[in-house]
Amino acid sequence: MFNYTLRRLLMVLPTLLILVIFAFYLMRLAPGGPFTSERPLPPAVMANVLERYGMDEPLHVQLWTYVSNILCCFDFGPSFSQKDRTVNDVIAQGFPVTLTYGFWSAVFVLVLGIPLGIIAALRHNGFWDYTMTGLAIFSQIFPNFVLAPLLVLLFTLSWGLLPGGGWNGGQWEYVVMPAIALGTSYMASVARLTRGSMLEVLNSPYIRTARAKGLPERTIIIRHALKPALLPTLTYMGPVFVYMITGSVFVDVFFSTGGIGQDFINGAYSRDYAILLGLAILYAVLTFALTLMVDLLYAWIDPKVRAGLS
Amino acid sequence: MILSAARRRLQSRAFADERAPEMIASRSFWADAGRRFLNNRMAVFSVGMLSLLILFSIFGNLFSRWSFEEIDWNVLGRIKEDGGPSLENGHWFGVDELGRDLYARVVQGTRTSLLVGFIAGPVSVMLGAMLGALAGYYGGRLDRTVLAAYTIWLAIPYIIFFVVWQAFFGRSMSQMILVIILVNWTAGLLIVRGQVMMLKNREFVDAARMLGMSDFKIIFRHLAPNVLWVVVIYTSIVIPEVIMMESLVSFLGVGIQEPNTSIGALLSQGASTMTFGTLWQLGFPAAIFVIAQVSLFYIGDGLRDALDPKER
Repeated sequence: MFNYTLRRLLMVLPTLLILVIFAFYLMRLAPGGPFTSERPLPPAVMANVLERYGMDEPLHVQLWTYVSNILCCFDFGPSFSQKDRTVNDVIAQGFPVTLTYGFWSAVFVLVLGIPLGIIAALRHNGFWDYTMTGLAIFSQIFPNFVLAPLLVLLFTLSWGLLPGGGWNGGQWEYVVMPAIALGTSYMASVARLTRGSMLEVLNSPYIRTARAKGLPERTIIIRHALKPALLPTLTYMGPVFVYMITGSVFVDVFFSTGGIGQDFINGAYSRDYAILLGLAILYAVLTFALTLMVDLLYAWIDPKVRAGLS
Repeated sequence: MILSAARRRLQSRAFADERAPEMIASRSFWADAGRRFLNNRMAVFSVGMLSLLILFSIFGNLFSRWSFEEIDWNVLGRIKEDGGPSLENGHWFGVDELGRDLYARVVQGTRTSLLVGFIAGPVSVMLGAMLGALAGYYGGRLDRTVLAAYTIWLAIPYIIFFVVWQAFFGRSMSQMILVIILVNWTAGLLIVRGQVMMLKNREFVDAARMLGMSDFKIIFRHLAPNVLWVVVIYTSIVIPEVIMMESLVSFLGVGIQEPNTSIGALLSQGASTMTFGTLWQLGFPAAIFVIAQVSLFYIGDGLRDALDPKER
């Protein structure tokens, strides 16, 4: 188990390095730069600006400076487009926002998705089962970027219950819609997956044995069926987190929450190399951390997997 | 009454004679699957809807009085009052926030989104399938390399790569298709690899090898037909995903360059103006998007039921 964790952690650095090198050259080899504008700067000024940001040196030297600054001092460099801020400032300001509604969104996915799936399985072919199947199809057709405008239309424009965007220090009214918009389709997937595996478990022989022993239904579900039924859901959470990170870029832009997604898109527009690279690294690290967490949790719960790892 | 008539017909001699050739002729896997697909009413209906949508995107402009980039100065100042859907001034779907005809723009956007989906989707699945087949067939170091690349690739949220690429290398449709293929090359890789690994030890592959066929020929002549059903199912899943991906990045503003548009870009513009009470700007693109996704969903479902041996 420990060896496995170590191996996974050791994989992270080379992968990040590949990502950085790839993104770095991709951005630098593209025409244009952060300082090209409609009216070109005089050559002397341009040379000064480039020197100020260390961009007059050969590319591989710049790459080396960038990577070593991160490794030694955790310094992601100054932002090119926002003169008085460093990338660290941008992350320190935006990341907590994204993390907050991301967390509540994950809670929403699990706390609603799992019980819905279980109920649908218990009432197989009943009202709840059909409701849930409908919901699953609905959410496949209404991804977050269609759902979010609909939510704003209903909750803000029609009923005036919730603010249509902004953050305001993370008061709960401002968190609700981003969390729901981000989570709904994954909530439905989790519910569908839980339903499927729960049905399978409920049909297995050991549940029949438990029933034959005369155990009450509640005990059968909670003590015997639940844990194995949740394992597939747990494996699915890794990809879900990755998708949610992708979705958060959209949510940040649409709801103007001030999270890092907005900075990322603005950085792409203004060719802010430093912000783009810094946030790309952050997104990738986040992905690694979350998938590793899920995998370890899985190994911890499922003895079969744990045996396979060591 | 009707039932008994139907039963009489089914048991009649004439019916048996009429159907006999069909029953005797051996049915191929694909003919069988086609029959199962045609029996799925929802899937057939969806094929009809999707065909209508495709016709709409190709020939829709014939019914439009405006081009997709022309500004109607008559309604520009009073879009909320005069810009709505109307039969009189020829704006069937109303106008967008800049006074351009929304009908023509929706036609153009549908065309873009469908083209991107139907080119980038199949090509990326083919690419993944090819790599998967090679990795599964040869195994060893090639297999390990491909798998490692696959794992690393999946660990990076595609949006990073997508946004960077789009913002830096222009935003034409061909760029969009290219970057989607690059992002999506992992689609179908794992499952084709698994199938090939299973099939390569079967007798017919041994036989082909003993007959002196080259690896290349074995893969394309003997293995490819046997994994084709996986590829078809996967493509039907990936196409709506690609359309969604394209819509998402267009919504984020790094999609296809104006004045060209796509469903995602139209949704985004519609969503940004909904506070002004011009809801048709959101409604029409959303309806098209939903029709496309619903029909693709049911077509995929029908294909899976028809082709997957486990579903039978």
